[in-house]
Amino acid sequence: MEEVFIPALGMAMEEAYLEKWIKQEGESVNAGDVIALIETDKAQVEVVCESSGTVGKHRYQVGASVPVGQTITVILAPGESE
Amino acid sequence: MGTREEMLSMLRMMMMIRNFEETADKLTLRGKVSGGMHNSSGQEAVAVGVMSALAPDDVIATTHRSHHHTLAKGFTAREVMAELMTKATGVSKGRGASMHLGDVARGHFGGNGIVGAGMGIGMGAALGIKMAGDKKVAIGFVGDGGMNTGRTWEAINMAAIWKLPLIVVVDNNQYAVETFIDRVTAGGDLAKRASGFGLPASTIDGQNVLEVKEAVSKARDFALAGNGPTFINALTYRYYGHNVGEKGQYRTLEEIEDWRTHRDPIDQFAARLLKEGMLDEATYDEMKASVDAEIKDAVEFAENSPYPDPAEVMLNVDSGKLRG
Repeated sequence: MEEVFIPALGMAMEEAYLEKWIKQEGESVNAGDVIALIETDKAQVEVVCESSGTVGKHRYQVGASVPVGQTITVILAPGESE
Repeated sequence: MGTREEMLSMLRMMMMIRNFEETADKLTLRGKVSGGMHNSSGQEAVAVGVMSALAPDDVIATTHRSHHHTLAKGFTAREVMAELMTKATGVSKGRGASMHLGDVARGHFGGNGIVGAGMGIGMGAALGIKMAGDKKVAIGFVGDGGMNTGRTWEAINMAAIWKLPLIVVVDNNQYAVETFIDRVTAGGDLAKRASGFGLPASTIDGQNVLEVKEAVSKARDFALAGNGPTFINALTYRYYGHNVGEKGQYRTLEEIEDWRTHRDPIDQFAARLLKEGMLDEATYDEMKASVDAEIKDAVEFAENSPYPDPAEVMLNVDSGKLRG
């Protein structure tokens, strides 16, 4: 299970605005796919899947402010569950 | 080539640095490293090659990308990881974070955030060594970006004219943040530019740890004999962005993959040692496991260490002589 989280992208970054879920719960993804768009420091950033599998539960909804380092969903390998 | 013990210790140090950097990179993305960091993965042979040619009391001064130099100089993974998290147990007692690792007492005159400044600090250390009459040398690390700032050449000029025991090592990963060196460097080879100052200057394969070691050993002998500085341009490559979190779109994935596959300093050295009969698969696996354990322990140590005591905020700020 690979956790997808809000990456710390700048020295002063503390949280990000969850702008859009590109991949939905239960959808299959490949490593390198963009799973969500976040906004931080006035820039839009793509959150990318580090592994292939199935998207787990969205732990935050669009519009949420999420602290850096916080897991927003997981990528499940075959046979895994949350 | 050197003894088997020495070769394996160099290989293990490179493996330890790689594991340290990749682990710290992940911790940085998770927001656990204060102020971010610059990952040196891919550049291990420069650091380990240089340090294996030095005596323990030789001095180094480094750059913003300095974890590999610091670990290779003999600082522990524990104290470097703790410093990244600005903990009281860190190299700089939690005051410095990633870019200000150092300890003058152990011959490490620090990293810093100013492009090319490590070279000037190294030159100053070399001047101090000469004035004190000590039998040691100073390494001034500089990046390719620092090679196009004026202060580095002022320092080289002064080292050359005063015959200071300085070894300039360009940890040349070819990208100044996102700018490829050839796009901004007139005259081509940096060694050619340096040789204009009348000192030995060469460009070497910075992915070959033994070649780096040999070049620095030669430069050290040259400096200890009173002949002055040497300029070494070590060509290397960084696998990750300039800083952690950078979304690099200024070079191709194929280029990175090519360096990783064909010119990786650890893979190349391990293959060489296998061929020479100094290494076998079982030993390599054992080394990998012991490095893993060392880095896990370092992370645990750093996470469990306290932050500096606020009551000590004035410590190391001044000499203390002006206060009661």
